[in-house]
Order: sequence, then C-alpha cells, then structure tokens
Amino acid sequence: MTGTSTEYLLLLTLVTAVVTLLLRALPFLLFGTGKRPPALILSIGNVLSPAAIAMLVVYCFACYVRDRAPVDHMFGLAEIAASATVIGLQLWKRNPLLSILAGTAVYMILVQIVVP
Amino acid sequence: MNQKPVLKQAFISSLPVLMGYTAMGFAAGVLLAAKSGVKLPALWAFLTSATSISGALQFMLVDWIRTSRPMLDVALLTVCLNIRYSMYGLSLIERFRGIHPLKKLYLIWSLTDETYALEVENKVPPGGDSILYCLTLAGLNHCYWIAGVVAGAFAGAALPFPDKGIDFAMTALFLVILTDQCRERKNRVYAAVGLAASVVCALIFGAEKMLIPSMILMLSALIVCRKRLERFAGTSPELKDEVKP
Repeated sequence: MTGTSTEYLLLLTLVTAVVTLLLRALPFLLFGTGKRPPALILSIGNVLSPAAIAMLVVYCFACYVRDRAPVDHMFGLAEIAASATVIGLQLWKRNPLLSILAGTAVYMILVQIVVP
Repeated sequence: MNQKPVLKQAFISSLPVLMGYTAMGFAAGVLLAAKSGVKLPALWAFLTSATSISGALQFMLVDWIRTSRPMLDVALLTVCLNIRYSMYGLSLIERFRGIHPLKKLYLIWSLTDETYALEVENKVPPGGDSILYCLTLAGLNHCYWIAGVVAGAFAGAALPFPDKGIDFAMTALFLVILTDQCRERKNRVYAAVGLAASVVCALIFGAEKMLIPSMILMLSALIVCRKRLERFAGTSPELKDEVKP
C-alpha cells in the first residue's frame, strides 16, 4: 500500500485521529470516576513529554545528517543557524509563531542560496 | 442570564490562536501539497486537520505519506507526539464532570495545547457559563486550524513556490516546545534522558529505524531509573500535588 493511495490515506487519517482522541480521553476514561491515578503512571506521564520531544528533535537532525551529508554542506551550518534562531528567539520573546517563522525563513534562505 | 458576553470573551481570548493556527496550519498545508505527492491535497488537508487537530502530527504526516510508513509505526509515533495531551485532561476532569456526553466528547476531542491553556485560564465573565465558554473557544480554534491547513494546501498546490527547506518548520516546532519545557529544571533532566537514548539509537539504527528503539530505551530508562531521576530532578515530593484536580 503506497502512501499516496486512497486506502493508505484513509487508514492514516483514521489511525491518527483515533489514537490522538484516545490519548486526550485517557485521563477521563481512567480517572473520571474519582479513582486516584497510580503513582507510576503519573510520574511517567509527567516526564515522558520532554523526553519524547527531545527524541523527535534528534530524529529531525538524524534525517538532516542522512539527507544532507554534513561534510558537503558546511557541517550543518544551515541547520545550526536556523536552530539557534529558533531557540534564541523563543528564549527571548516567548512567541512560538515568531520563532518558528523566523527559524524556517533563515533555513529556507540558507539552503536555497548559501548552502544548497 | 444573557450569555452573549461569554461568546464575546471567548472570541477575544481566541484571537492569538487565530494568528498562530492559521499561520502554522498554512505552513503544514503547503508542506502537504508540495512534499507528500498526494492527489487532492486540500481534501486530505481538511480530513486530517479536522479529525486530529494536532500541529506536530500535521507536519509528521507528510513524511509518513511520502515514505508509506507502516500503520504500527504511525500509531506508535502518534503516541510519542501527542502523549502530552493525556496529561491535560487530569486537570479538567472535575470541570467537565456531569455535562452532556456529546459536549464532553467534543471538549476532549478538541483539546489542543492552546485550547487547553485558554480553558485553564478560564476568563469567563462573572456569572457566565464556563462550559459554553470552553465549547466556543474549542470550536473557534478548531475552525482556525482547519482553515489554515486547507488554505495552505490550496496555495501549495496552486503556486510554484520556492519551498525548499520549508520542512524545517517541523523541526522548529519541536525546538520551540522543547525550549519552553526546558525552562524547568526537572524537564531538562528528562529531556536529557530522551536526548541520550535517541542519539544512541540514531547512531546504531540510523534515522529510518531509530524511533521505535529510542522509545523503548527511553521508557525503560525512565522506569528503571525512576527514583534516581526524581531525586536528581527534585520532583519526588511535589508529584502528589499535581494529581489534585
């Protein structure tokens, strides 16, 4: 089943929607009746998010290393400069939209003009 | 009482989200049209954005479609991306108790980062219906998101656009979430665990196959070293307080 086939896309829409809805509903399903959540679940739940997001950042960079060999692309100059823009702006201005748009613009300019 | 002020306040509260969702959604829509190779991108933009309402997912989808990722991977990665949503409900259980099941279902379904933040802030006018406020906010934000993604998909399909590098928006989104989380010391500790586990797995398995082993390694580390990490992050005494609704 190729990714662009209608069956794949329908299945993808369904799976992502159902899994996301279940995640959102989980606390209501488990603890809606007033039961206290078990300590292990709570403590893992509280800490999983930063770990998972860090993993996704690593994944993005692993993809850049694969697709744009650092040796041929000024050792990731575009990726590093754009990431620094995002992190710096976010720490400074705390405006997610601004950070994302500015970082993406920096990246697009760099990979289209400076480090193709 | 007249609930008009509630609707008005919900609209005013949602304005920052209008800016954010239309812009982010637009980028995700352009990416879907330009990079995934689907026919009818606007249709799929509509279906995926309307049913999932999840920014990070909307970006990741493009990659999954392009590489025909198996559904098991899709499901596991969706859990990874959106596990944070399952924490939000904990603080809303009491607020949503006893309301009409359909209203409750919609409020749960539409619980995004931004909608959650506004619902917790709860700027409902005195004497106003707090559930009506939440429903209006959720509905508006839902519409903004769909409109942004669909508009982006139309634009991406219609315009020849120098889009090389636009996929960095996803990396940027993750970096923003991580940067905000890392303002807290405890989150820095756990982010470091995720970072270490996934770098190891990236080196061993490569970008293609790293995510599932990383998740397994990360979860094992979080469970096995739980006590030590809690002590290091300084969270062990406060944990119980976060349970209270």
